This record gives sequence, structure tokens and C-alpha cells, in this order.
Amino acid sequence: MTIKDMMQLKGLTLVQQEFEDATISGGYTSDLLSDVMAHAVADNVLITIQAHINTVAVAKLVGIRALLIANDREILDDMIRAAQKEKIAIFRSKMNQFELSVLVSKLLAKASC
Amino acid sequence: MVIDKSIPIKMEESTSLILDLIYRLKIKDVMSRNLVVASPEDSLDHIKTLMKQKNVTGIPIVKKDRLLGILSIDDIFKALDNGYMQELAEKHMSKKLVMLEEDMPLAFAISYFDKFKYGRFPVVDRNNLLVGMITSRDINVGLLITINKEVARMEELLAQSTPVDVHNIRKIFRIRKYDFEHAGNASNRIKKLLVERKLDPRDIRRVAVAMYEMEINITVHSEGGTLTVVIDNDHAEIIAKDSAPGIEHPELALQEGYSTANEWIKSLGFGAGMGLANIRRVSDTFDFHSALGKGTTVRAVIDFKRKKGNDNDH
Amino acid sequence: MKIDQLIKELGCEVLHRRKETGVKDLKHFVVSDLMSDVLLIDEEVDLLITSLSTTQAMRTADIVSAMGVIIVNGKAVTADMKAAAKEFDMTLLKTKLSTFEVCGVIHRLKG
Repeated sequence: MTIKDMMQLKGLTLVQQEFEDATISGGYTSDLLSDVMAHAVADNVLITIQAHINTVAVAKLVGIRALLIANDREILDDMIRAAQKEKIAIFRSKMNQFELSVLVSKLLAKASC
Repeated sequence: MVIDKSIPIKMEESTSLILDLIYRLKIKDVMSRNLVVASPEDSLDHIKTLMKQKNVTGIPIVKKDRLLGILSIDDIFKALDNGYMQELAEKHMSKKLVMLEEDMPLAFAISYFDKFKYGRFPVVDRNNLLVGMITSRDINVGLLITINKEVARMEELLAQSTPVDVHNIRKIFRIRKYDFEHAGNASNRIKKLLVERKLDPRDIRRVAVAMYEMEINITVHSEGGTLTVVIDNDHAEIIAKDSAPGIEHPELALQEGYSTANEWIKSLGFGAGMGLANIRRVSDTFDFHSALGKGTTVRAVIDFKRKKGNDNDH
Repeated sequence: MKIDQLIKELGCEVLHRRKETGVKDLKHFVVSDLMSDVLLIDEEVDLLITSLSTTQAMRTADIVSAMGVIIVNGKAVTADMKAAAKEFDMTLLKTKLSTFEVCGVIHRLKG
């Protein structure tokens, strides 16, 4: 599936729309950026509550192209601007990390059928 | 020779238990009923022998139970000195009598002793018939016996009055700075107690969360402090106190997300800055004072069975 | 689902089992690496899924009355964490899988 496909998902709001569409092949759920750096891979969508600029930096490092902010966390302006610059999409949702992980899993499973 | 027998009970300053007793007790409750009496026709010598035999210092002189006078040991000394021991009681007895009535509260007797400086008082009934004698020793003994009974009764009541379902917890914990190994330990222990006492799970959650946040704050942000917990049937009160360093911008500290924790602390999983706001969220009463150099006090009260926000059942 | 199903499917290493194990039907899963976030939850918590492999994770799980903790990403579990699991009578599991993968498995088992 691609980032654009994620836009159809109910419960997700696209808050940073200047992104380069890319294939999503997996998900990584974490609130510890050190973990993300150690274990996440490129083409993952990152599911997290860390709604600040450091997340964008780590995403760039790893090659993550889309961020999914859970628990309706407020996203700071400087994060939006940084993501804009890097062409990384940011979605926001009221759902928690568990629900979002399940949602993305389901979508990925469907896509690979 | 006059012996000062004033009673050293300061009525105005006595504790309420004593005051209660001296008004509740009646003179008839403490007086001696074993009366040693003499008749007006008895000689002073006979009176002296009577006093010695019966070990008393005052003899009421009665005729058919009607009190006519009283003879004290002082009167006997005088008679001995002046050589009229063979004379009759009625000639030397004190007729100016201060009597107490048996139904009067003990307080009266105490004030009489203080006022009149006599060693004893005859006690009469409503018909003015002699029924007893009261000395200051009688008052002492009477009070002691009654106080003993009262205390025993109170102790028994106390022992009985700890019903099993009272959430009766009072504890003070010392929280040490940067003691991450134990950070939260007090909260875990209190939570365990609340589970054992079968408090509503929603109330347990609120108490545990508030206390835990407060405990972590002391550990992470202060030089150490105390956590006081008082829990009864109706609510839990938790007070966190530290004396240093104090919060520079207390109003900012209440904002969700605001944190002064350093990177090291954050890497341990703390310091995301929800603490105070979260405590306020789960509490029914929330107070917070802090000043740089003075330290911080946080107080939270959680009222039981009054749910915050959503009142839906699970 | 029951805990034993989950242990099997996730290939968990069991570091401690709580006394009443295997009885509870697991319904409420919480995913978080920030313990302060866990404290914001009002709902019941059955299992905490986290990569924060610390005693604090155990204490936080106890505060919210979770019955167990799953440590993900194959992170090392300390002796203190095991002691805490014992003290709070909590199941402590460890898996090589990531949080994302664990969520996928749970969803599958829930049917």
C-alpha cells in the first residue's frame, strides 16, 4: 500500500500533506526514539505519540516516510514545518497506539492479498 | 493547730473528663457510710477513745440520727491541753455546722473543702438526717476508682470500635532523591492495601495514580521529601512535601507536557511532564504551592464513590 | 483470548507467571513506552505492551492494575523486574517481536 492509500482510512486525519508518496511495507510502533533508530526500517509507517520535531529527525535518518500520531496528541508547528521540508506525511488520530497498529496491520494484510 | 487540707484541684483548668466526673458523681457515691457517732452525753474522753479505736478524726454528735454537732480531733487536743476531757460532748461540740447533702455533686464537696478548710463534712439526706461523712481521702479514693472504671470502659470501646471495613490508613513515607529503584514503591504498597480492603477499582486507580505521580515528582524533581497518606471510608488525602528546590514557574508546571526533566531522567521513562496536571485530573480537590528556594507542597483529595467525569458503569 | 494462546503465538519467554494465571480473558491491551502516558488511562488494563524494559514499567503496570507486562523487541529483562513481577503477582513475558507485530498477532487471535 502507499501513503495515499492511508488517506482513505477512517479515523485518520492528514495534518501535513506535503509529502512524497511512497510504498508502506510495514509499521513500527514506539515512543522511544532510540528504539526507532535501532529497529525501525525504511518504508515503515511510524506510529507514536511523540509529536515533536525530534521524531522527524529520526524518521529522516531511518527512511520513514509517514508518521501516525496517536491519542490525538497536539502536533507542534515546528514539527509540521520540519516534516514539510523533508516531505514526510503526518497523520493524526484519536485512536491509541494499539488500535492504530491493528488498523495498519489490517490494511497491509489486505494489500498483500 | 490547723492543718491545711485544701484540695489542689483547679476547677477551671481540669480536663473535661475530670469535670464530667466531679459533676456526675454524687457525694453519696464516695462518702463513708460506716458512721462512727456519739451522743451529746458522751464524755470527751470517750470521744477520744472512739477516735483512736475507729481511726477517725471527727465524730458527729447525733440524737436519733439528727445531727446536733461535730467534734474533731482538734477539739480533743484542746481538751487535753486544758484538762477538761471528762466534760460532755454537747458542751464542746461545734454547732455551727457546714453540712453537705448526699445528692449534691462531688464538685460541691471539693469547693467546700477548699472554702472551709475543715477536714471532714457530715452528710445528711433530704430530711436532714445524718447518713454519712466525707473526708478529702474519700474524694480521692472515689475519684480514682471511678476514673479507673472509665478508662477501662474507654479502652474496651476502642478495642471494639475497629470494624473490619474501615479504610483506616495513615502513613508517612520518606522519599529519597533519584531513588529510581524504589520510586513508586510507597504507591504500590498503598494500592495493595486498597485492593485488599476492596475499595472500588475506579477509586483505587485514582488514588494510585495521584500518589504515584506525586512520589515520582519528589524522586525526580526534588532533594527528597515526604508523602503523607490518610485514607478513611470516604476519601483519600495525599500530601507531598519537599523543601527544595522549589519550582520557578509553578503556573507552567501545571501545563500538560511542560517538564524540566533532563535527558537522563527522560531516558529512564520519567519526566514527560504530565504529572501535576494528571494529579489534578484524577482528584476532587487539588492544591499546589511552590516557590524557588522554598520547596513544593502538593495536596490531593480523592472522594470515594464520586466518580470524576464519566459516571457510566463498566 | 487467554494468556497461554498469546504466549504460544508470540513465542514468548515466560519470566514470571502470576498466581491466577490462564483464567482471565484478555481484552484490554495498552501499548506505550512512556509510563507517564500509561498513567493517563482511565480504562481497565489487562496487558501492558512496552519496550521500556525497566522496574518502572512494572510499577506503572501495577498502579493501573494490569495482570501482565510484555517486553518487546527482545529487550533484556532485569532481575529487579522479575522480582517486581513476583512482588506484584504479575505475569512477565518477553518476545523478540516488535510492538507492531505483537498488535497484529493479538488482533488475529481476537478473531
